Amino acid sequence: MSIPGLTLIAESINDSVPSTHQLYEDGNMDAIIDLARSQAKAGAHYIDVNVGLRAPDFMAELVKRIQQHLSLPLAIDAPDVDIAAAGLQAYDLKRAGNRKPILNSITEARLEMFDLYAEQPFMPILLITEGMDDSGTMIMNKTAEQTYRTAKKIVDMARSRIKNVKNHELILDPGIVPIGSDTEGNFTRLMRTLELIHNDGDLAGIHISVGLSNFTNLLPAKKPDGSPVKSPLESAFLTMAMPVGLDTIIGSVKRNYTLLPDDHPAMQCLQDVLKLNGVYAVMRVMSYFS
Amino acid sequence: MQDVVEKIALCVELGKINRSCPFPPEMKGQEGADEIAAAALKNGVAPDALLQGCMLGMERIGKKFAEKTAFVPNLIISAEAMKAVTRHLKPFLESGAIKRKGQFVIGTVAGDLHDIGKNLVGMVLKGGGYEVIDLGVDVTTPKFLQAIADHPGCFVGLSALLTTTMPQMQASVRAIKETSPDTKVLIGGAPVTQDFCTRIGADFYSPEPQGAVDYLNQIVG
Repeated sequence: MSIPGLTLIAESINDSVPSTHQLYEDGNMDAIIDLARSQAKAGAHYIDVNVGLRAPDFMAELVKRIQQHLSLPLAIDAPDVDIAAAGLQAYDLKRAGNRKPILNSITEARLEMFDLYAEQPFMPILLITEGMDDSGTMIMNKTAEQTYRTAKKIVDMARSRIKNVKNHELILDPGIVPIGSDTEGNFTRLMRTLELIHNDGDLAGIHISVGLSNFTNLLPAKKPDGSPVKSPLESAFLTMAMPVGLDTIIGSVKRNYTLLPDDHPAMQCLQDVLKLNGVYAVMRVMSYFS
Repeated sequence: MQDVVEKIALCVELGKINRSCPFPPEMKGQEGADEIAAAALKNGVAPDALLQGCMLGMERIGKKFAEKTAFVPNLIISAEAMKAVTRHLKPFLESGAIKRKGQFVIGTVAGDLHDIGKNLVGMVLKGGGYEVIDLGVDVTTPKFLQAIADHPGCFVGLSALLTTTMPQMQASVRAIKETSPDTKVLIGGAPVTQDFCTRIGADFYSPEPQGAVDYLNQIVG
C-alpha cells in the first residue's frame, strides 16, 4: 500500500488480534518480532505495540526486542498508564532515528498520561469519541458538534500540559465505527467532524487518525464473485476523508489502499450511505457486498 | 396457519420489512413482514403464529450468522423485519395473550461505552422469544443488581469490548453470583473467551448470539 501523504501505523501487534493474542499466550516472542519485521517490510511507518493487560515489564521487554531488530518508530498502545509508561521508558529514541513514539491514546478521562511526556516525549493520539459532560461524566459523543467540542478541549489540555507543543505534534482520533452496523449515522457524523476540524484554523496541521480496519469489521472478506469487500470500502473512505484532513491510519499492511474514482462502486456505496438513514444505510452496504 | 408462519419466517430471515423495502432485490415489490402480519391478524390468524414465524426466521438467520454465511447487516435487517411484526403484536404482548419465554437483562459493563455486540445479542434474543431489558452501556454493578431485583427470575447478559474492562466484568459477575446465586449469567464480547468465562464463574459464553438463545431455550425447556 502507498498513498502519498498517508501515514500507516501497522496494527497487527495487538492483543485483540486473536492470532497475536495466541502468540502472547505462547510466549512466542520470535514470531512477534517476525510480525514486526514483516509489517515494516510491507511499508508500515510505525509499528503499533499493544499487549492488552499484560504486565508493564512485558511491554518494556517487547519494545526493546522490537527495537533491536527495527529502526521504525513505535506506537505505544495502552489505555493503562503503567503499561504505557513502561513502553515509553523502554523506547530508544536514537534507535528510531530520533523519531518520537506515538502514544495511543489519551482521553479526557486519562489526562495523567500527559505526565509521561516529561520522561519520554511522544506524539499523543487524542481520542475524541468520548468526552466529559458538564457533570464530569464521560459520555460517548453522539454528534459531530460534540466530538468537535471535545477536540477543542483536549487540544487545549495538551497545549497546557506539553509546553510549546506544536499542532503537527498532536494527533486527533475521531473514531470510526463499522459501516455494516451503522444505523445511527456515525459515518455521517465522522465526515462532518472531519470538516469541522479541517475548517478550524486553530487546529490546522494537527494530524487526524482512525483505526481503519474497524470500518469494515463485521463484513465478509469477499463478495460472492470472489472480489474483495474490505479494501475497496476502506479505500473509498480514504478517498473521501483525506481531502478533509485525515492523514494517518492504524491499519493493515495487507490491504491494498488506493484512492478511487467517483464512479467506483465502493465510492457510490459510501456516497449513498451519507444520504440514507437507519436500517436503509445498512441495506445499501448489504447491496454492495451481496 | 403454517403458511403464515413460513411467510413471516422467510421475510424475517431475508430481511423483507415491508413492500417498499428495497431489500432483498429478489423480493422487490412483494409484501413484507409488515403487510403479511397485518393481513394475518385481520383474517383471524392467532397472534402466536406470527411470533412463531419471527422466532423461526431469526433462528435461521442466527444459525447462518454462526456459520458465517450471513453477516451483521443481515442480522440488523432481519431484526427490523421482526420489529415490523411485533409492532402488530404489541397489544397481545401487553395483555398477556401471548407470552415470552423469559426476561433477559443485558448491558455493557462499567467503563465500556461500546454497544454493537450487546445490541446484536439483544436483537437475536428478542427474535428467540425473550423480553430484553436493555440497561445500555457503562452499567455499574449496582445497576445490574437492581435490574435483577426488579425482574425476578430473569437471565443476565454482560458485554465488554475492551480488554481493560474485563476485570469489571469479573467484578460484576462475582457480585451478581453473591447476591443472586441462582441467576444465570451469560457473558460475551470480542476479548471474552470460554476460559475467562470459567475463571470468573459466569454460566455461559458464546462467540455468537444464537448460542445464547440455544442455551436459554435448554433452560426454559
